[in-house]
Formats: sequence, C-alpha cells, structure tokens
Amino acid sequence: MGKWKHPGPGFFPFGLAIALVLLSFVLIFRHWKKDSSPAPFWSGRTWLRPLLGTAVLIFYALVVDLFGFIPTTFIFLIIWMWVIERLRWRTLLSISIGTTVVLYLIFSFFLEVPLPQGFLGL
Amino acid sequence: MSMDEIFGLFQGLMTGFGIAFSLTNLSFALIGALLGTIVGILPGLGPSATISLLLPISFKIGSPVTSIIMMAGIFYGAMYGGSTTSILVNIPGEAASVVTCIDGYQMALKGRAGPALGIAAIGSFIAGTVGVIGLTFVAPPLAEFALKFGPPEYFALTLLGLLMATLLGEGSIIKGLIMVVLGLLLGAVGLDPISGAIRFTWGFFMLQEGIDFVTLAMGMFGIGEILINLEKELTTELVTKKVSNLWPNLKDWADSKWAIVRGSFIGFFIGILPGGGAVISSLVSYAVEKRCSKHPEEFGKGAIQGVAGPEAANNSAASASFIPLLTLGIPGNAAIAMIFAALLIQGVQPGPFLITEHPDIFWGVVASMYIGNVMLLILNLPLVGMWVQLLRVPYAILAPIIVLFCCIGVYSIRNTVFDIWIMGIFGVIGYIFRKVNLDPGPLILAFVLGRILEPALRQALLMSAGSPLIFFQRPISGTLMGFLLLFILIQIVVTLRKRWKG
Repeated sequence: MGKWKHPGPGFFPFGLAIALVLLSFVLIFRHWKKDSSPAPFWSGRTWLRPLLGTAVLIFYALVVDLFGFIPTTFIFLIIWMWVIERLRWRTLLSISIGTTVVLYLIFSFFLEVPLPQGFLGL
Repeated sequence: MSMDEIFGLFQGLMTGFGIAFSLTNLSFALIGALLGTIVGILPGLGPSATISLLLPISFKIGSPVTSIIMMAGIFYGAMYGGSTTSILVNIPGEAASVVTCIDGYQMALKGRAGPALGIAAIGSFIAGTVGVIGLTFVAPPLAEFALKFGPPEYFALTLLGLLMATLLGEGSIIKGLIMVVLGLLLGAVGLDPISGAIRFTWGFFMLQEGIDFVTLAMGMFGIGEILINLEKELTTELVTKKVSNLWPNLKDWADSKWAIVRGSFIGFFIGILPGGGAVISSLVSYAVEKRCSKHPEEFGKGAIQGVAGPEAANNSAASASFIPLLTLGIPGNAAIAMIFAALLIQGVQPGPFLITEHPDIFWGVVASMYIGNVMLLILNLPLVGMWVQLLRVPYAILAPIIVLFCCIGVYSIRNTVFDIWIMGIFGVIGYIFRKVNLDPGPLILAFVLGRILEPALRQALLMSAGSPLIFFQRPISGTLMGFLLLFILIQIVVTLRKRWKG
C-alpha cells in the first residue's frame, strides 16, 4: 500500500476498489428505489446458441495442442456450422475445407506464424 | 503561427506524401480502405474488432508506418461503409451510422437509395478531408505544447479523458464509471510498473506480464460480439436490389451542403475531445440538423440532411480523433486505443515526442489519410453495387471464421493456448456485459489509459511529497482538474433537475 508520500504497488488498486464499492452501492440503491420487475435475462431459448458457441470454443482450446491446427480448425468449422447454424452438408463441407486451407495459407505460409502442430505434425 | 512553422508543416506534409506514395504504403492504404469498407458494411463486425484481429500480425505486415496506415484506413474506411447498410437494410453497419438509419432508410423506401448513398459518400469525403486538414495544422503545435506536460498534467488529462468517455458515452453514467474502474483494475494485473511487485496473478505464471491488450480486446469485442449476435438471427434484407442515380439532384445539394459543413466542424471538435469520437459526433450532428432545419417535421421521413450531416460528422471525427493519440499519446476512444496498442507493439511510444522522433510515421500516416479518402470515395461511389453483394454473405459463415481469427491471433502472440482461455473468459464476460447494457468501450479505454494514469499518479505524489494539491497548483493540470470538477458539477445539476421535474 505505502503512504501518500511513497505510494506502493497496492495504492492505486486499493483506491479503485473503494471507488468500485461506492459506485456499486449507488447502482444498487437506484434500482432498489425503482422496484421494477426486471426483464428475464434470457427470453425463451436465446441462451442456447451462445452456450453452444462457447462450448465449441472451449473444445477448440482443449484439443488444438493435441490434434494440431489443421484437423482442429476443420472440425471446429463443421461443428459450428452443423450444430449451431444447421447448414446443408454440401455447403458446410466446402466452406470448412476452403476456410481451413485459406487460414493455413494466410497464417502459416504468408505471415509465418507458428501454429500448433499436434501429434500428427499438421 | 509564424511563417517558418507553416513552412515546416508543408515540408513535413511533402515528406509524408513521399512516404505515402511508395508502392507498399499505397497498397496497404488501399487494403485498409477495402477492409474498412467491408467491415463497415457488414453488421456485427466493427472497426475496433477488426483492428484488434490484426494487432497480433501487425508487425508482420511491415514497418510501423505501413501497418498504421492500414489500420487507420480500416478505421475511417468503416465510417464510409457503415452508411450503406444503414440506408439499404435499416441495420447500422457500425455504431457511428446508427442515426443514418432513420432518414437513410426512409429515403431508400421512397426509391431514393441512390442519392442517399451518394450524399453519404460525398459528405464523408468532404468531411474526412476537412478532418485531415485540421489534423495537419492542429497536431504539431499541440504536440509542442504537450512537451511541457509532467506526471501531474498527464494524470489530470487521462482522468479527464476517462470521465468524458463515460459522460459522452451512451447509457448510464454510473455503469460507464464502473466499466472504467474495472478496466483500470484489469490493467493493474501483472508486475507493478514502479516497484516490480507481482499483483493479482492468482499464482498463474502466465499472468505476470499482465493481461495482453489484444487478448482482452479480442475477447470483449470479437468473441463477446459474436456470442450476443448468436442470440438473434441476423437477416439482411435489402430494400432495393439495384441502386441507380447515385448523383444527388440540385435540390439535394442545396439541402445538404450546409449540413455537410456543419457536420464536418461538429465532428472535428468532438473528435479532438478526450472521450469523444465518431459515434457521439454523428448523434450530435443529427440533433443539430433537426434544430437548424426549416422543416424539422421532415426528419424521420427521409430528410437528406439527416444523412449528410451525421455521415460527415463521423468521418471528420474519425480523422480528428488521431490528434490526441499522435500529440499527447492519449487515445480518446476504443478504436483509437487499438491503434495506440499497434504503435506500442511496433515499439513506438505515442506521445508529444512522436512527431519529432518519428516524423516519418506522423507525416506518412497523415498524408496517407488524404489519399485514403480519395480511394474511399472511388470505392464507395461507383462501386457501391458490388459492396452491397457482401450483405448476402450469411453471418452463419462469417461468425465461426471470426472466432477462428481471434483464436489464431491470440495464440500467435506468445504461442500458448493459455491466452485462448483468457480470451474466451473475456468473451463470455463481454457477452454478459452486453446483456446487461454495460458498454465495453470505456473498459478497453481505461485498460490502456491505466498504464499512463497509475505511474503518473504515483510519480506526481512522489514529486509533491504526498500532497494531492500538486494537481491543482500547477497551471495546466490545475486548469484540467478545474474542467473535470466543472463537468462533474454540471452532471450533478442536470441529474438533480431531472429528478425534481420527474
């Protein structure tokens, strides 16, 4: 923390924390007085697609180091467009293959970014 | 301004054009303008998200000048493209074109989509150029003035910027301030810049370097935006398949010429303000045009001034918001904060020394903006029909590709999957923020400014031996703090008045 004369590492965050507590109280107090019933956080099944999107992203982070960039990216695209968007198989496959190839070319070939290789070396 | 200084400006500008007209820089200005137009047109993908996608690869693109030329092009290019979607689909292509929907779409319904698109492009060009001229003349003297700034001045200025960003932003001020505080706290993660102590890493070694700006920005803007868009089916239905008669008629000109002039100036002055930017300036311009008009009842039914004014304002503001970045090193809004980060990644410290230490960057980028605006006029006027086809690309295909871009982007910074996790977490947080009407813009801005604010505060307190009065005793920081208190006071009075009336 330190003193006013010699502010330490905790000085600034502590001040921020106080500000955050005060602001939160103001926000709570305001809504307390209004006493209106809030709209539901999710209406109907709107939560489903964002949840699926997050799940596919988690899947990507989990396996990309294991399987490597090319297979994981391909599977990611297929799952996303099949489960979330329900596209037709022909569109889905051609876009997945095309996108994987283009992304690989851009990042690995032109920009020379090291991509995760996985046990297959892909 | 003396003759010598004016001569210096023109000399600088000439050097700048020399740099901007090189083949590489011309092509990257064009790529930036193209990308900007595309992301401007596509709803659900804005300039901030796009620039954040490009940050990890920015130093692979080339020299600092080249990459900043491209990113600037994306930023002001999006201002051109955004109006197209607003007019033809009634969905804003990006945030600064929200008000263009009101009258632009009405014009399109009446079969006047052509003149609406035409006046938007021409107004954008005029205002964009006015903005760059302003940038050329205002930036160098301002930077010289800013050389006198010490830690207290920087503290006062950043604080003022953060306050203005919440006051001028949309939605609740309390919520905006909460976002600012959260952004500052997130910026404090990692090694303390002064003592080297480790803060808030929760035992994660990977967090010692702090949260990377790119990871945070991609999560909040890229992933968060995708997740919220997944909730609703984004369908883009065009009013007209074919756009014809882009050239506005004489009456249109007469109606909109002053709107364009006013929009240019409103945009410029709001763009310079810390916390100001394209979004606010377009809203202000619309309100002003409605006031100035002899037929305010036509607004909302297809008044061409309602398109010309705001579209001019957002372009002029986009150019002007480079001024605080390039002269003070203080970004005024989220999109400019991305360009701030890009400069840092390239090893260039934005600030009052930028113009003297890296004249090639400053003048090269400024000159490229003159050229970029000409490119955009050509891209958006005769070729607009081609861009409209872009709206046929379904979001179902775009969304997973953007997510992949984010994943590869953050992975490439440090070659670790850990950063994909961090990005994902911020993505979910960004989604929740959007659900409860918390705008992540001020958070991103505060995250960047925190790295200026905290050291400035602590150094100032060391200078004054612990007396906070130092911020009020020095003339420049005292004036800035005076403005700060004045704005807070005005806000309190306005709120209390509303209470009493309501």
